[in-house]
Amino acid sequence: MSFFGFEERTLEREKNRRVEQDEDLAVYTWGEESYDGLGDALQEEHDELNDETFGDVGKVGKDFDFASANPAVQPISKSFFLKNLLAAQAISLESIWDDRSPFSMRLNGSGRSSLQPRGDSPAQHRQQSGIRTLQEIESEMQALLRERQQQLLQQKQREEEEFLRQEEEREFQRQRLLYQQEQAQIQRQQQLHAHQHRTPPPRMLPVSQSPRFMEHQQRQILLLQQQQEQQQLLRLQQLQEQLRVEELERQLRSQHISTIPPDPDMEALQHQQLQHQLRHRSLPLEDGLPYLPHKLAQAEFLRDMQGLPQADQEALRVEAMRKILEAEKMEEKRRRKAAKIAHMSRYNDLMTQSDKDFITRIQVSQLVSQDPYADDFYAQVYGAIVRSRMGLGADDERVLKFGASGGVALGAPSKGGNRRPNAMQRMQQQVERIVSNARKREEEKGLHSLHSLQGALGKTSGRSYKAAPRQLLQVDSGAAPSASPTLSHAQPHAHISKSDSISNSHSDAAATHAARLGRETLGNGSSEDLVRMEPLTQREILVTLENMYDLVLNVEQLRRDPASSRGRRRVFWSNGESNEFDRLVDQMWSHLKVMLPLATSTPHPFISLLSAAKGKKILPRVTRHFDQQRMNTLLTLLIACFSQLDTQAFLSSVLQSILPIIVKGNLRLVCGLVGLLMHGQDIVAIAKSRPGLALLTLFLTRVEVMRQGEVDEIPTQEDFAQWQLMFDHLFQLLTPEFPLLFPSTRMAAHLPRDQPHINIPGIDSLDQPVWQFLAALAVQASSTQHQILVSSLREKVLDNVLSAKKGWVVDEEERTTKLANVDLFLHALGLDSSQITM
Amino acid sequence: MLIFSVFKTLTDQQVTVELKNDLSITGVLKSVDQFLNIRLDNITVLDEARHPHMMAVKNCFIRGSVVRYVQLPAEHVDTQLLEDATRREAQNQIKR
Repeated sequence: MSFFGFEERTLEREKNRRVEQDEDLAVYTWGEESYDGLGDALQEEHDELNDETFGDVGKVGKDFDFASANPAVQPISKSFFLKNLLAAQAISLESIWDDRSPFSMRLNGSGRSSLQPRGDSPAQHRQQSGIRTLQEIESEMQALLRERQQQLLQQKQREEEEFLRQEEEREFQRQRLLYQQEQAQIQRQQQLHAHQHRTPPPRMLPVSQSPRFMEHQQRQILLLQQQQEQQQLLRLQQLQEQLRVEELERQLRSQHISTIPPDPDMEALQHQQLQHQLRHRSLPLEDGLPYLPHKLAQAEFLRDMQGLPQADQEALRVEAMRKILEAEKMEEKRRRKAAKIAHMSRYNDLMTQSDKDFITRIQVSQLVSQDPYADDFYAQVYGAIVRSRMGLGADDERVLKFGASGGVALGAPSKGGNRRPNAMQRMQQQVERIVSNARKREEEKGLHSLHSLQGALGKTSGRSYKAAPRQLLQVDSGAAPSASPTLSHAQPHAHISKSDSISNSHSDAAATHAARLGRETLGNGSSEDLVRMEPLTQREILVTLENMYDLVLNVEQLRRDPASSRGRRRVFWSNGESNEFDRLVDQMWSHLKVMLPLATSTPHPFISLLSAAKGKKILPRVTRHFDQQRMNTLLTLLIACFSQLDTQAFLSSVLQSILPIIVKGNLRLVCGLVGLLMHGQDIVAIAKSRPGLALLTLFLTRVEVMRQGEVDEIPTQEDFAQWQLMFDHLFQLLTPEFPLLFPSTRMAAHLPRDQPHINIPGIDSLDQPVWQFLAALAVQASSTQHQILVSSLREKVLDNVLSAKKGWVVDEEERTTKLANVDLFLHALGLDSSQITM
Repeated sequence: MLIFSVFKTLTDQQVTVELKNDLSITGVLKSVDQFLNIRLDNITVLDEARHPHMMAVKNCFIRGSVVRYVQLPAEHVDTQLLEDATRREAQNQIKR
């Protein structure tokens, strides 16, 4: 049926048009399968009482048909468009006709002082003079249009104002653009949402069909819609409020600027002009809204700038615009973020807590091990080192323990404390619960229950040996050479494959050696039954060193982590542990083979051990655990075999471990060691090597310190006499070689004869230890020895001073180094390089 | 578990992970699990021109089985300790 003679055809057309415009309209599904049948519930009868209900209106005119009305009534279309706009924005209809609607306010404000009827908008008329017919309004407006043409001249007087308005227009354009983008963005998001809501991702389908999921989704959508509506409503209300204020101020301003008292008709006219302009710029009237934020800002800055000069006003305007843009951007950002969060939260709570626990249980069950500390050795010790380096207590272990055995290694603590400590506690509690549950189940079901979880989430590579490549070569162990002769145990070390072996000893010889070794280890070794042996083979060295490493690791473990066996750290060890420690150290001592007689082999087995890089590396770690007596023995052996040592890594590793002994040693020890150096070894060759020179310097300075009396144990006169003998002997041996101690002199010998003064970069720093040694020598030398020193080194000293003073140097640094070197020596003699004149 | 243990100490350090598909990803190691799955943050890919699809990726999760090499920052690895840990692991292996 048709209401009030409305043509259904027009209605239909209108509907179609709107559907084309807006795809977001609800789609009804009559006749389709999914139609819910609500239409059947409609009451179709009792139309005969309609007239009684709605009143008989008789013939209905066409004056409501704005769309087909002639273009002369265009001002009216403004409110019509506004209505459309607001309806599209899902705002309740009241707000359109509400007094506070932006346009009615604007018009109201401008016409407030006017009593004359004006033809601005129907809303205006409804408020001012009640109901009037459209014809009346139309004629009035046309009259005003004519009037306006007459008053065009007067318009020039208000050019200032007009200028401002044009400025406004420009901003308005920009705002409009921004707003359109924003709207497009919102629409896109809404479409996206709608799309997502319609079709859940395929992989989620099984879950999305569950009622829980559907309910969740609907709740989300509803919430989202409500939020959006509320936001828009709030925004609009704020804008209206701002507009009201702004309009008031515009009034004040126009009165202020205008030289002529404002004529109410003029005001009305201006508005018409403005609207005219708007139309001429073909601005769709939906843009009435985006106009608002700009006005908002203008109101704000106008409030501040009353009476300010034009330039300042401009600056303020720019500033205000910038602020607006920023605010818009922020808003946009926030909205995007919220949308993203909402998008992501679609899958919230898809897994229940028990689901999550189940996964965690499987993961954790694979992490639990019998010895968490050992399995996580690297991380545990590394963490302890880092913590001690940072000055934190190294006591707390990062291991979760469950009862007597088993636990989970947590690795190093997270740096920076970015994780809350109670998160760790919670994890601990949860893991404990999981593990105890697993235990219970295991008891209930027997041994197989835990294995059922094994590999449930994939195979872990676990220990690296499990993942090691398959062995391709199968070497018969019987065919390989039997156990190495000098090893205290028959089984070769696991780390060294048999193919490394180049042992050429025979099995019968091995037996003899083993027996002898046993005696010597027990201290029964004597020179009578000295058995000369072949030097250790490479393989023997490595096997011995690996055994050493195992021992060192055990000892260090014992020292570092007493908590693992006792639960709480104590300063003193119980007897059992002390015994264990001693036993391990004894083993290390015997493995080092220090006690073998000097003449056992050349090089001595101990020296052989030091020839390997890992031997040098392990020495400081071993010697740390030895007592003073053992260290003295070791040092003596080292000095006695000094010429057998390869000197490359001596300074960096070996010297480091023997230095504390020498620094603490008494004069008798030093005396004996220097004697050892000169006995049966080429002291000149030793002095020409860098570590040898360093060692000699060390001895000399140690003796000098003792002469100064800065030690606990004052040496006796006899000791000093003994030392003097030793010193004289040393001095005498070295005398002819003094100039040759310098690397520079030795190198100069290889240089072409005609260029003796050629510069070798860095040669002076190489010479420095020699100058130091000579200085240490000079300090203890007698006056006759001084003369010998000076006469043999005279040329070298002069050479250095000359090149420094004549400027035969590359740079300032070299010059100072040369002088400093010479002075080092001269000062010991009580001289200075400045005393030398050329 | 040795390598797992080592990686645990390298969290928040810069590492380069070379994958079996010749992709080489540098990033900050965020976490690692017992399968040696690796989570990287703030990543860059070696030779970006050849892998334009990776340019926009800022973080990633790498399945342990696709890793060929991991380049560790030398200054954050205690080599001596690593040697010790290796020896201990070998010791344990003999015991079992």
